[in-house]
Amino acid sequence: MASSLRAAIISHFRVPASQTLALNGSKLWTVRSMSSHGDDHLDKNQVIDRVLEVVKCHPKIDPSKVTPEVHFQKDLGLDSLDTVEIVMALEEEFKLEIPDKEADKIDSCGLAIEYIYNHPMSS
Amino acid sequence: MSGVSAYLARRAAQKERVRILYRRALKETLNWAVHRHLFYPDADDLRKRFDANKHVEDINTIDRLIADGEAAHNKWRHPDPYIVPWAPGGSKFTRNPEPPSGIEIVYDYGQEAEEAL
Repeated sequence: MASSLRAAIISHFRVPASQTLALNGSKLWTVRSMSSHGDDHLDKNQVIDRVLEVVKCHPKIDPSKVTPEVHFQKDLGLDSLDTVEIVMALEEEFKLEIPDKEADKIDSCGLAIEYIYNHPMSS
Repeated sequence: MSGVSAYLARRAAQKERVRILYRRALKETLNWAVHRHLFYPDADDLRKRFDANKHVEDINTIDRLIADGEAAHNKWRHPDPYIVPWAPGGSKFTRNPEPPSGIEIVYDYGQEAEEAL
């Protein structure tokens, strides 16, 4: 009696094979909940929008001049210290920590977008 | 001619040092500021201190000013600076690391044997 009941119950609870395969396969490493290891990678348009939003907020910049390819010093008329401020604002926006030497090289929107898009930890 | 290029190289090195010093000092200011609204005036003050010596031309004076600035920065460094969580020293550094490759986890806990019976 008990064994037939058990069999009847078990026959109702069946996990589809495809689901278990997906868990066992390589997909396991791509989605890991509660981890901050680059699971949620940004797409390019999102990065561009957020970078431009941050750059436009700088008080010395005319927002209408900002485009994805603009150079901070040549096109926007900033000085080198303003560039440092913008790069730091971008770091905070994307929760990054950019080494000093690399941050020093970022001098245009295009470079900033490329760096942030390719960074595994940007979010 | 070599004198000119040496001068230019030294100037470029000085400019880079100033940029990096400003970057570090700005981060330090953020570390010391408890709230955002306290950070903004401090950052403006810092900027003013850098801008005050903007037009100094003498190359040795510039070197001395940079050295002074770096010394002041080192003196006022924060003992417990903010570090982005995933970076070395951050609160999430090496937490939940990826398992080594080649290890598989079986999730159906022996149910497959039941099915075979």
